[in-house]
Amino acid sequence: MKYAMLVYSDQSSWEGISEEEGARLRAESMPRWIALFEELGKADPNVQGRELAGASAAKVVRVVDGQTIVTDGPFAETKEQLGGVFVTELPDLDEAIRLAALVPAAEYGTLEIRPLATR
Amino acid sequence: MNERLAAVYAEEWPRCVAILTRVLGDLERAEDAVQDAFTIAIERWPQTGVPDNPGAWIVTTARNRAIDRIRREHVLADKTALLARLESLPSEPAEVSALPDERLALLFTCCHPALAVDVQIALTLREVGGLTTPEIAAAFLVPEQTMSQRLVRAKRKIRTAGIPFRVPADAMLPDRLAAALRVIYLVFNEGYATSSGGELVRRDLCSEAIRLAKLLCILMPDEPEAFGLLALMLLQDSRRDARLSADGELVLLADQDRGLWDTRAIDEGLRMLERAEALRRPGPYQLQAAIAAGHAQGSDPATLAAAYEALLRLDGSPVTRLNHAVAVALAGDVERGLSLLEAIPGLAGYRHFHSARADLLRRLGRTEEARDAYLQALQLTEDGPEQRFLDRRLGETAGGAPQ
Repeated sequence: MKYAMLVYSDQSSWEGISEEEGARLRAESMPRWIALFEELGKADPNVQGRELAGASAAKVVRVVDGQTIVTDGPFAETKEQLGGVFVTELPDLDEAIRLAALVPAAEYGTLEIRPLATR
Repeated sequence: MNERLAAVYAEEWPRCVAILTRVLGDLERAEDAVQDAFTIAIERWPQTGVPDNPGAWIVTTARNRAIDRIRREHVLADKTALLARLESLPSEPAEVSALPDERLALLFTCCHPALAVDVQIALTLREVGGLTTPEIAAAFLVPEQTMSQRLVRAKRKIRTAGIPFRVPADAMLPDRLAAALRVIYLVFNEGYATSSGGELVRRDLCSEAIRLAKLLCILMPDEPEAFGLLALMLLQDSRRDARLSADGELVLLADQDRGLWDTRAIDEGLRMLERAEALRRPGPYQLQAAIAAGHAQGSDPATLAAAYEALLRLDGSPVTRLNHAVAVALAGDVERGLSLLEAIPGLAGYRHFHSARADLLRRLGRTEEARDAYLQALQLTEDGPEQRFLDRRLGETAGGAPQ
């Protein structure tokens, strides 16, 4: 089964900190991200995973009555924003849950598992 | 014949559905095949008699029916693979007994946390309990159509979400087992004390929960909490005849006629508790069972309060805190019990919180406050014996002197 794993977290906590502090925090969690990709690669050699740039760079596009309307910022007014996506083929939901729990962001954010539609 | 057939159905349904699910990889298809086989059985068995091993007969008939069904399907991606797997199943009933028992995998699929709890309950009763959809609908007081749709959606979700058909890996097993035990206990509680419906104890659900727990104990004989839950339910169930008076009114534990307690159920409960404790891994169900055993054996209130204290260390949930507070009060320190109770957050919508608080206030002679608390409890209780009990207490409290 193919699953998308959507990584949500509160990105506002990254905004107030200095570049050095940000780099330090990234370096600190790096071994766990590497371990995650190793596990994901073992489960599915063709796994795809991408981190999104900060939600502050987001644009929202809608077409209303034929007019293209572009606005700033993410659409949802929730605190947690989509920050990354994995797409992977796994035997079942329990394997997806096991791997999702290894994503470091699961501890300060939310992992959403969605099967890809088959039609 | 009908009774015999109903018994075969409840007994053999889960085993057959589990075997077919293993082969077909899909619960809905498995269920269709097994249902087909039972339909044939209903036609044939009155003439031929029930076969020696009815479950094996159902499995081979379901196998053949599934092969027919799949051959007729035109658009099916893995048709060849499915047929090959089905054909690997024995075609003779005599060979079926060599197949592994897959009922534990079936239970864990039905109790998967990706399904809503009420769906887990309905699905477990249908597939592992072998109850029919109309029976489950009646037990939960919903229209048959509603229950049927709920079950269909659940089976589709299992397929589309990829909920696995297997016993969870070791790392996940403790959580998943806890979820399965919870489903079984919720079935029991739905039968034992329901705030809706006139009959206080819906016995079928209690017996069904006990049957499910016994099955789990057979399938997981090294799990102390499974035995703990079985012991707890047997001990609670032993008091069901004493819980209601002849005119259908609720009787509190302290006022119950012990002659009405089911001593065989108590003995069985105590034996199951011993088995659990011999495995030396205590848990919340075992401790609750130990408390229920204490009630059954007439332990003194101080011992029971201490047992609740031990339980509280494992399970700090509001309901456990409430039970502990009441136990402290019954052990003699009503003031302390009341202050423990009033410190519990989040129970404002729980009728037992208000009725317990009312009772403690009444014992302390604080009648005005007791009255208000009884009224709050009543507002949360639907028609039935529990409501009438609270009404009586309210009347007594209005009369003045505490009992």
